[in-house]
Order: sequence, then C-alpha cells, then structure tokens
Amino acid sequence: MTTGNPSYTNPKPCKHLADYKLNHGLSGYKSLQKHLKTAPHGKTSVGKPSTKTPRCISCDGFQDIERAELYCCVCCDQVYDPDFDKAVMSKHIMGITGDKNGDESIGKRLVKRRRLGSGVVEELVDSKISKQLISMRDRRAKSCYPLGLRGLNNLGNTCFMNSVLQALLHAPPFRNYFLSGGHNHETCRKRSVDQLCLSCDIDVVFSAAFSGDRAPYSPAQFLYSWWQHSANLASYEQKDAHEFFISVLDGIHEKEVKSRNQNRDNGDCQCIAHGVFSGLLRSDVTCMTCGFTSTTFDPCVDISLDLDTSNFPPKNTANKSIKPDANSSMSTLLGCLDLFTRQEKLGSDSKLYCQNCQERQDSAKQMSIKRLPLVLCLHIKRFEHSPVTKMSRKIDRYLQFPLSLDMTPYLSSSVVRNRFGNRIFAFESGESDISAEFEIFAAVTHAGTLESGHYVNFLRLRNQWYKCDDAWINEVDEGMVRASQCYMMFYVQKSLYQKANEDWSHLPISPRRNMFGQ
Amino acid sequence: MSVPNEDKMASHAQLSSHFFGDLLDSIIVDVASECHRIARLGLDRNLEEEEEELKLSAQARERVADPNNSGEANSKYVVDIFGQTHPPIASDIFECMNCHRPIMAGRFAPHLEKCMGKGRKARLKGTRSSTAAQNRHSRGSPVSTYPPYPNSTSTNQLSNGTSGVAGEEYSNGTFPES
Repeated sequence: MTTGNPSYTNPKPCKHLADYKLNHGLSGYKSLQKHLKTAPHGKTSVGKPSTKTPRCISCDGFQDIERAELYCCVCCDQVYDPDFDKAVMSKHIMGITGDKNGDESIGKRLVKRRRLGSGVVEELVDSKISKQLISMRDRRAKSCYPLGLRGLNNLGNTCFMNSVLQALLHAPPFRNYFLSGGHNHETCRKRSVDQLCLSCDIDVVFSAAFSGDRAPYSPAQFLYSWWQHSANLASYEQKDAHEFFISVLDGIHEKEVKSRNQNRDNGDCQCIAHGVFSGLLRSDVTCMTCGFTSTTFDPCVDISLDLDTSNFPPKNTANKSIKPDANSSMSTLLGCLDLFTRQEKLGSDSKLYCQNCQERQDSAKQMSIKRLPLVLCLHIKRFEHSPVTKMSRKIDRYLQFPLSLDMTPYLSSSVVRNRFGNRIFAFESGESDISAEFEIFAAVTHAGTLESGHYVNFLRLRNQWYKCDDAWINEVDEGMVRASQCYMMFYVQKSLYQKANEDWSHLPISPRRNMFGQ
Repeated sequence: MSVPNEDKMASHAQLSSHFFGDLLDSIIVDVASECHRIARLGLDRNLEEEEEELKLSAQARERVADPNNSGEANSKYVVDIFGQTHPPIASDIFECMNCHRPIMAGRFAPHLEKCMGKGRKARLKGTRSSTAAQNRHSRGSPVSTYPPYPNSTSTNQLSNGTSGVAGEEYSNGTFPES
C-alpha cells in the first residue's frame, strides 16, 4: 500500500441503503444524532428516546441501538455507511468541550513542520549518491561480500558498543549520510574548537568500515570520545547496548545543536540522529467518567517494549522445552506492540485531574505512533528490577519477531479509530507521507546473564544474514537469527531497504581510497 | 405451601437464566459486530502470514536446540568469511590517546579506565531534566524521550561481561559489572 491511511476499503454500499439515502438524504441520520451517545471507552450507542424507537418506516433499514450500527433487513446483514459513521463521530467530537476540530488541528500543525524538515534526510537516501560511493571502492576489497562488512575488535567488554556500531554502520539513511560526506571529520569546525565531536569519530569509523580493508578494526578513538561525552551524563561503566545507543544519538545531536545555536525545542531537529531515528508518539489520557481525552505528543528515538507475557505458563518450564503447541504461548513482537498500544486503566491510586469534570477521576491511557521514523529501533525490556527485593534479573523469555513488519495497526489513526469502534472517519490527518512497511536489517542479541553476558549483532544485507561477533563475521542462515534472543531490533522502511539492496549490486571498481580519508 | 413456592423458585430460575441469556447474547453480538466491521472494512490483520512466521520461528528454535545438530549457534568458527582467524584477545597494538603508551587492543578499555582516572566514575548522576513523557504516569518508562539520553536511573540495562575471556585478565582486579 503506497498511500497511508485511512487503510480501510470503503465498503460497497448496500443497494437498499443507497436507495434510502437517495430518497431521504441524510435527514434520518441527523435526527438520530440527537440520541447518539458515546461512552468514555469509545463505543457509541443510541440512548432510548422519550418518543418512538428510531426506525425509518419507509425503508427496510434498521438500527442496532446498543451499538449504533445499521442493519439492512433485506440483506439480513450489518451494513456500513461513511456518512452514518461521520454523523456518529461528529456528534461525539462536537460534544467534547470546546474544540470542534479536536485532534485534527494538532495533527495538521505537526505535519506541516515535519514536511519542512524532512527534505534533507530524504535527499540522502537517493540512490544516485550511493552509486557514486561504490565507484570509489578500494580495489583490495573482497568483492563478493557487501561493502562495509568488517569485524570490530573487542577492546575489553566492549561488545555492547560493537553490536550497536554495526547496526549504525548499516542503517541505510545513516550510512548514506556519512559516506556521502555529510559530516567530514577533516573539515569539521566543531572539532577544531572544542576537540570533541562524536559525529567526527563516527565518520572515522565509517571510513574504516567501508575502506575495503577486511581485517578487524579497533574503534579505540571512538571509545575514548564516547567516554568523554558520556562521563557528563552517567557513570561510564554503562555496559548496556541500549543505553549506549541512546547516548550516541544524544552526542551527535548535542554537537549539532551547539553549532547551529538552535533552541532545543520539541520540534523537528535537523541533526542526522533525529532525522533518521526520531518518530513521534501520541499519548491519550481519557477520563473514564466523562470521556474527555487529553492528547500529547512526544518525540522519541526508539520504542522500549515490555515483553508480552500474557500467555506465560504458570510453571516456569518454558525456557528449554519446546512443546508442539509452543506457538500459543510464544511471546511475539506484534504481541508486545499490541501491549504497548493497548488502553491501560490507571489505578485508582493515580486518578488524574479531568478538565471537564473539574476533579480527579479514574483515567485510562493509550499510546500510539503518530509518526514513524525512517529507521525504527525496537528495544525489549529484558531487565526487571524489583523495588521490593532490590534485586534485578534478566528475562530470558524467547521473543518471536518478523522479518517484515507492518506498523499500520500501531499508528495513531488505527489506534484511535479502533477506540471508537472503527468508524469510517478521518481520525488523524497527514500520516500518509511515510509508509508503514518495514524490513529488519539488524538484530542485537544478548546471551548470558545480567552480570556476564555477550552481545552479538546479526546483519541482513542483500537478504543474506551475517553474524557479527566482535571481530568475527560469518554467514549464517535465517533460522539461527530467528532462534536467537533479541534485545534490540532495527527496522528500516521497506523502500529504503530495497534501494540499499539494489545499490551494491553493480560494482565498478576504481582505486580512489583517499576519498575516505585513509 | 410447597407447590406455590416451587413455582416461584422455578420462575425465578427461569428469569435468571433469561437475563443471563440476554447478557450473554449481548456480549456475543458485541464481539461479532466488531469483527464483522473489521472484516468488511478490510482492517483485519494477515493472520496466515503471522502464523507462518510463528511456525518458522518455532522450527528454527527446535533445530537450534537439537543436540544432534552441529551446534552452529555456539560453535567457535575456524575462520571468518574472509578466511581470517582471530585470537580471543585482540592483539593489535596501538597508542593510547591519553597517555601515548602502546596498548594491546583487547586490553584497551580497562587500561583507559585507569588511564583517564578514577575521578570520572559516577561524577554526576544524570540530573538532566526528564521530559514530560517520562514524568507522566506510565508503566515504567516506555520510551526513550528527547533529549535522547534518559535519566541514569533508567532500569533497562544489560551489562556485557566477557567475550569468552575470563575476568581475571584485567589487571586492575575489578570485574566490570553494571
């Protein structure tokens, strides 16, 4: 599907309903509107009117009062009409205090700002630029293997860093930016001023990885720089891959902000880190008494997911044995995403103030994705900390994940629409410019315990999987990747993945090594 | 008086089950109506694909867990795809950018820790102001917010230990842990 939402198909109108509308227009719907009532949880019903039951005598239609659905007595089936759904939703929206346009206006504002900023990044994914890069490849490279595939030496418990670096090296838009000279460490002005520029160090790593030299590279300079950056933020003993990932993006962003004297607002940041990884999350908090919903938007560079353990077997025998019906109790990435976007009732001990009711009420919160990034990083929260026992443990539970991921059901338009019973109505505007189909290109896995474990990265290049275990790069089959314990999964938009695969297939070789600053 | 009582009880029982039946019907129709709408509007997920994925993953796990397998998952490779072989501790030697002494790659990180001084440890515990989303009521912090670096007390870390090398190798005596 090339255009985004709404993704539903407009149902073919039932002949009888169409005839009714021809004869009576929308007056029937309008008179019904008075009696429509949407409950706080989103379902609409028709309140019992003081007069007669709403039923059009002259047509063969009928009404499901409890659910505000149309039923055609001739077809003997429930039928759907966009105009009816619109009448239902308009009533609801207008019924909410004040804002007639509701979330549409917020959506429009954000989309406008986004469009202005996205130009830079989109240019970088142009395949023309990528093709130019290939022509500068070193003659020494073993040409049958993908460019940029190079082991990284473990410098002493640094596999957390190596695994994330490999993902960054092969994230198509991120890679294209650095390889096309997006940040040249030789001409960087920031560096000469205060000596510390993480983007420069990343540029050096890119040059090394794509130089054609296949002997493992030691990212010592990068480690040194990163430690200097992260010392200000937290203990440098951080050995968690996810924490490392976040701090690297932050390091890149910080330099960008300083140099351009930008305000750190929550708008569209132009730095490469946010341009590639940043998305927008929507959070809806609904009052369970009156239905008033307060919506906020927050940018994010990744999504951290709780494991979907709803089917967890009571006895913890699941880890080693694989029963024939294992499917039913397997945790899946889609399950985790469902959990993430599920409406969650906040406990009675955390009542929130409702503007409408003017007092604290029981509320429910629901997350959804307003805008998807070019590269989506999904992080699984395998670390569990108990505030009671002060003990931490790692959750080893296996997680199934797909190679192709369709994020449509988790978009704000889908989630909000679902909350209101999937009415045919434009709930969110302007999500359509970015496609919701993604392909995985890197998976960071963890094996072992909390205190002593090992990170390994699996890369998917030109549909072949490679295991990147520090200095060791080996080809592996898809099955090994599927069976591994994922900690962070990197998905890229399908169109970018396909383009990246095409780019490397024609390899004119020319000995211009110096282009990469070697 | 037994007959009228029995009648009453019988009609009570009938009424109860009638009400129960109504409630149950209503719930069933709720679900049916929802599913009908989802199907009609083309909103349903591709369940076949999802099931296929689950099957593939289950099969893959079985193969890996099978002791008869060559155990590729954990086996040490003899060479990598480029035909190279690598020692357990990286043996490249380069100059430390802090003290300019030649250091072996595989011992660089612990050297750097000492070299850069202990004073670096836990100097400032992330006092960066959390953005609004983290302060909001949530089930833990589901997202890493912007500014990207979260509060250092964020509880989702997995430390990595050795890459197959015992901890005693590190001369400063401490085994790195989170």
